[in-house]
Amino acid sequence: MRPQWSPLWGLYWREIVRTFRNPFVLLITVVQPFMWLAFFGSSFSEAPASTLEGIFGASNYIQFLLPGVLSTSMLTVGMFGSMSTIQDKRFGFMKRILITPTSKGTVFLTKALGSASRGLVQFPVMVAAALVFGVPFHLSPLQWAAWVGALMLLAIGFCSLFLAITARATDWQTPGVVSNFITMPLMFSSAALFGAKYFPPWMVAISDVNPITFSALLGRSFVLGTTTHWVYLGYLAIFAGLMLAIGFVVSSRWLRVE
Amino acid sequence: MNGPLNGSAIVVKDLSKHYGSGARLVRALDHVTLTIPSGTVFGLLGPNGAGKTTLIKVLTGISEITDGDATVAGFDVRRQSMDVRARIGWVAAEVILDDDFSARENLWFQAKLQSLKGWESRAEDLLKFFSLADRADEKVNQFSTGMRKKLEIALALLHQPLVIFMDEPTIGLDVSTRRMLWDIVTGVHKEFGVTVLLTTHYIEEADALCDRIAIIDQGRILAEGTPSELKSRVRADIVQLETVEPLDAARLSRIPGVQEVRAQGNDWTVRVATADDFLPRLFASVRTDQIRRISVEKPSLETVFLEVTGRRLGQDEPIRDVRRFYAQMQRARR
Ligand SMILES: Nc1ncnc2c1ncn2[C@@H]1O[C@H](COP(=O)(O)OP(=O)(O)OP(=O)(O)O)[C@@H](O)[C@H]1O
Ligand SMILES: [Mg+2]
Repeated sequence: MRPQWSPLWGLYWREIVRTFRNPFVLLITVVQPFMWLAFFGSSFSEAPASTLEGIFGASNYIQFLLPGVLSTSMLTVGMFGSMSTIQDKRFGFMKRILITPTSKGTVFLTKALGSASRGLVQFPVMVAAALVFGVPFHLSPLQWAAWVGALMLLAIGFCSLFLAITARATDWQTPGVVSNFITMPLMFSSAALFGAKYFPPWMVAISDVNPITFSALLGRSFVLGTTTHWVYLGYLAIFAGLMLAIGFVVSSRWLRVE
Repeated sequence: MNGPLNGSAIVVKDLSKHYGSGARLVRALDHVTLTIPSGTVFGLLGPNGAGKTTLIKVLTGISEITDGDATVAGFDVRRQSMDVRARIGWVAAEVILDDDFSARENLWFQAKLQSLKGWESRAEDLLKFFSLADRADEKVNQFSTGMRKKLEIALALLHQPLVIFMDEPTIGLDVSTRRMLWDIVTGVHKEFGVTVLLTTHYIEEADALCDRIAIIDQGRILAEGTPSELKSRVRADIVQLETVEPLDAARLSRIPGVQEVRAQGNDWTVRVATADDFLPRLFASVRTDQIRRISVEKPSLETVFLEVTGRRLGQDEPIRDVRRFYAQMQRARR
């Protein structure tokens, strides 16, 4: 099986350009994590700095929260990827694609990579927002790159997961339903929002294998300037690779056309 | 890229396609056998639910075959799907374009999907051929229905396919756009030398466009041939005449070659073997000043359809058409 470079590029380009021609999609992608930051992030703003230092190791909760919210919002990015695929099925565009020598696996790859790339649009917006909330950033270029890379891997993983689960779906609502089952458990049983310090043992067990935790901790170590566990990047790469492989096989075999 | 195709563009052998199972089993295609010679415009004529779209889906590889064999452009639909898909074009009943993109960008995208190189000049030729060149950089959601349809055909032709499939190319179009599309189908066929398989439930469309026609109903091919071959299967002309005074029906029936006589007042419908023989004999037995009006209806696909299916492609069809069209539109909007 040879990689289909031409359709891969064509389909990926379509995903990206479509995003920028459709301001609503951009808005939706950015609004939700921003709300988290603005509202949820402000919930400790009147707490004494010493209390915050004690619990979170940061004097500003938003500083602690930003890497976590960016990580959990990759779940939503996955849901949007699945929804745009269902849109293509319903409008018949999937037929237009598949009545050419383009394989279902290629369609899957471009959807996973395209949606993940689209999801990263929120990164600069969120960092800018955090700056406005008074979060300082002292990252080296390598750390910036590693942070974005970690989020990209996480996004690819979740997009693939959503696409695999909804390969046969044609209903708008399915991604939302799936998201309800995945998002809450993965979001709260991770170190994204509070850190796992005061978790019960069973949640620690989940958190320790939850890819959101790895991405959140990695980003946090950059933002707070603490020790970085670079192996987390490796775990995230394994997660992304595994999900891509599963999604590729599932889609090649079961992707519904209409 | 694609060499010329000799012989048959499409060969279908004993092909079946079933949906569902048990009590809800639908035999959308029921042992269909069909050969479509290369270079023809071939029409599948049938009512709603006949299996026309299903046949296109199966031949383009969108749906799996339940049983039987099919080759398109010389390649096995099941085992060599990629080879088939590199050599076919497809025009959907409901126009499917990417509305966020311009006509040129849609062509670019299609070229990428087909892995084409050096396609740009052909794309420009196609834009010119379809009179879209001066608006090719506009987003296609600003195009009229006819322009969108033309662009879709251009997309289907970009990679120089050997066969193109057109599912109900004129559904939902107004009369003048429909005429334009007929000209386009004929022109495309002449200019680009492709084999065209189109489906329709308009008899006059099949008659006007197609070199060969298959009549399909409930998943089965009931008749196949050139329009005139099909018409000659119905060996009768219909003569309608209006007389000044009542006639003796028996006198008409006695004329050799008359198969059936029906009367409604002074209006007569006479089914005859051939009007060419009947008319001189009629004039010999009835004074011509007794005849106020006379008309001859030669066998038409309409009468052929009636003969092979026992039904008329009826008057309720257009209404169902509209409903289906709106249903499609609504589905697309959701
Ligand atoms: N996905 C499907 N699942 C179940 N049944 C189907 C499916 N697609 C088509 N059918 C059935 O197969 C039969 C043939 O449908 P098809 O769409 O091929 O008809 P058609 O000739 O194209 O009709 P129309 O003129 O209305 O487009 C119908 O009875 C239809 O209900
Ligand atoms: Mg149909």
